Amino acid sequence: MRKNIAIVGVGETAPTRSAGKDVRALAVDAALAALEDAGLDPSDVDGIMSDGGIMPSSVPHEWLAAQLGVNSYFDASISYGGTGVCAAPMIAEMAIREGLANVVLFYFGVDWGTRPGGPYGFHDIYPAKMAFEKPYGFNGQPSYFALWARRYMHEYGLDERDLATIAVTQRDNAMRHGGGQAKRPLSYDDYFASRMISDPLRISDCCLISDGVGAYVMTSADRARDCRKRPVEVLGVGYAAEPITGDDVFTQKPAMLHLPSVAEASRRAQQRAGVTLDDVDFAEIYDCFTISCLMQIEDIGFCGKGEAAAFIREKGIGIDDGLPVNTHGGMLSYSYRLGIEHVVEAVRQLRGECGDAQVKDASIGLVSGLSVPEYGVLMLGRG
Amino acid sequence: MKEQQSFAPEFEHFYDYARQGELRFPKCESCGRFHWYPMKRCPHCRSEKIGWGQVRRNGTLFSWTVVRHAFDPAFADRLPYMVGLVEFDDAPGVRFVTNLTGADAEAVHIGMELEPVFAASNDPHPLVTFRPARAVDRA
Repeated sequence: MRKNIAIVGVGETAPTRSAGKDVRALAVDAALAALEDAGLDPSDVDGIMSDGGIMPSSVPHEWLAAQLGVNSYFDASISYGGTGVCAAPMIAEMAIREGLANVVLFYFGVDWGTRPGGPYGFHDIYPAKMAFEKPYGFNGQPSYFALWARRYMHEYGLDERDLATIAVTQRDNAMRHGGGQAKRPLSYDDYFASRMISDPLRISDCCLISDGVGAYVMTSADRARDCRKRPVEVLGVGYAAEPITGDDVFTQKPAMLHLPSVAEASRRAQQRAGVTLDDVDFAEIYDCFTISCLMQIEDIGFCGKGEAAAFIREKGIGIDDGLPVNTHGGMLSYSYRLGIEHVVEAVRQLRGECGDAQVKDASIGLVSGLSVPEYGVLMLGRG
Repeated sequence: MKEQQSFAPEFEHFYDYARQGELRFPKCESCGRFHWYPMKRCPHCRSEKIGWGQVRRNGTLFSWTVVRHAFDPAFADRLPYMVGLVEFDDAPGVRFVTNLTGADAEAVHIGMELEPVFAASNDPHPLVTFRPARAVDRA
């Protein structure tokens, strides 16, 4: 199947809790790094994209365009956070195919490592949460996912050691990869000794908290051949959302442990890419928590509901295992910039740039973004 | 001093009933189904005729956690505390976020029967907490 667009450049600021620069400065650094990686100049960019929830109030399109000197003839945004990061190529592909833009820059990042309140203030935008949840002290993301984890343990017999395996393996991946925020290995003993945050989730089940921005550059498959690095093709994108509000999604989903929009986005991405999950060599899965990574392995379709723990034990998610997951260490051990680091890593894997953490013969990679109740799956291929 | 805030009108109705010791949730007068959290129209049939159905029976614990970290400094002096998610036979489709009281974490389990405790105060938005059911089910 002929693919219309490719990712030709990626850039990110160094994973860190505290960048020492504000998020606008980081966005400029990441955008310039991505363009440099592509061998392109800001004057080549004529379309600019980000998510529609977080960046408009922190690093607006027009501010970044003005700073870079970009004449933009196309801008768009989709979803928020990680889903926007994965789903943006769906919009960029249409724009490039229709001649609305030739070179589209996508950027995304956060200053949640140093901003007062960190990630925890984000859900204050939901009025029903403020009225009916926060008064009870139910306001941190770890507590939301703790309710899912506890219920999952009840329905499917999940053991704490199954969650530990995700945290420990991803840390192993991070140690091989290097450059991530977590600097020391994590053993099972370390996992079980780590501080309980919201039972049954320990701090080792929770993603890092980070400052940083990442960016990627997209252009037509034809033009991609003239760029500096080997292009990475956008094989297919799936986007899906459930009709449930952001207020309700953590507590009121009728089938709490099922993520039907994940399944639908995965199905659409496979269909558009003309590949199946059997063809996927590695997956960068939105691992805000161990439990959310585990549930997505099921809903993406790698195994059935309730089977992920056995799948992980039997198949393995390390770099040399049956399904390498989060080859840079993921949000648990590399950085938490809501998934932009996952796209950057997938591109580097498909170019063969990952050194000790390189997945052998990686030719197709899957990236997922979870911005409940919205979901994105990006299927990328070696060009 | 606790900050006094007002919520959307359909949110305030919940607290109007809670101040009277009643647990009521939005119930569509057209299709008869509950929903939670409150919406402008019934999310099942889009009707604007939404009443408030009363829960009279005990609830059942759907999931729970012990919060041990203050995600907002305002809760630091309450740590650790238990958050529960409670379902009701007589309000299907509703799960209520609450604090669990009167039980040790070791004794808490999914499926346990719980009864509400209405805070007796002049708070315009009183908490409704839950404890292990002691009384015979009020139904």
